[in-house]
Amino acid sequence: MKKGTAALYIGMGVLISILTFMLMPAYSQEDIVSLADSALGDRERPAAVFAHEEHNEKAEIEECNVCHHVYKDGNKIEDESSEGQGCSDCHNIKEGYPTRPLMKAYHDLCKACHLENKKGPITCGECHPQN
Amino acid sequence: MHGLYNFVRGPLAWVAFILFFGGILYRLISMLLGARKKDGVVFDYFSLYYGLRSIFHWIIPFANRNSRQRPIFTIVTFAFHICLLAVPILLLAHIILWDESFNISWWNLPDSIADIMAIIVVACCGYFLWRRLTQPEVKFVTFASDYVILAIVAAPFITGFLAYHQWFGYKFMLILHMLSGEVMLAAIPFTRLGHMFYSPFTRAYMGSEFGSVRHAKDW
Repeated sequence: MKKGTAALYIGMGVLISILTFMLMPAYSQEDIVSLADSALGDRERPAAVFAHEEHNEKAEIEECNVCHHVYKDGNKIEDESSEGQGCSDCHNIKEGYPTRPLMKAYHDLCKACHLENKKGPITCGECHPQN
Repeated sequence: MHGLYNFVRGPLAWVAFILFFGGILYRLISMLLGARKKDGVVFDYFSLYYGLRSIFHWIIPFANRNSRQRPIFTIVTFAFHICLLAVPILLLAHIILWDESFNISWWNLPDSIADIMAIIVVACCGYFLWRRLTQPEVKFVTFASDYVILAIVAAPFITGFLAYHQWFGYKFMLILHMLSGEVMLAAIPFTRLGHMFYSPFTRAYMGSEFGSVRHAKDW
């Protein structure tokens, strides 16, 4: 193999890797269509429908920490966010104290905002459609 | 939708609970005062031991002669009452509402089991309806209100089953489900459904009279 060709292949490889790496977060967000949190284990109902990008566009949410919040001593820290972490890192499945248990955290976060804004699903079946 | 849901889940639910608990309290107190006034012997002969002995024999299927004579009715009525109480109290979707509203929760039935139990309740209601329509001894003591009561009991389970499966008009069905549940709660103290709270007293008095006066079994 000629030197030039090898360099071209290596260069392309690096470029593709960088592009993939850059696009990864964007892709993963667009990929989110349901809240299928594996930490919940066996669930009674199908995972809640949730198209991340579409939701935030419709709800005009720009700050990540509206949902991906950080709490300290019971108070939300305004300029911090937790989008790199799993919800279950703080919200345990059962013994919730001092945070809400995982399922309740999801329910409360979604429903409280929907009720406050009088928009969005608030009943069981709107988020958990039966197939 | 949000407004209607909030109204049915909030103020209307409170009205139903107040009518249920307040109504039961009122009916029990007025029953006791009425008995004191008109039927004093009830208190004179009341015996905790014979009362509980009678309740014990009637609360266990086939532990009394009457239930052995009517095995099908016994199975139906026990299945009905167990499912009727267990499903609303142990349903996950209901417990989540308790948890959201009052921060209390308890063990839940798997949805698939609760689903079958709801069908059992409705099927048993069908059996009771058939019985009222066809059996002469039941027909004789059946009033129009008994059919209404049967419908009041079946409605929350039919609408709940349909809402759970989301077969048609989910949100409408869910509102109907909540409304029908509230109607049933409010109706309990003021209809024959009140036997939910009266029956231990009537059973215990029968047991007392049979036990300590006639020295006989009442089962």
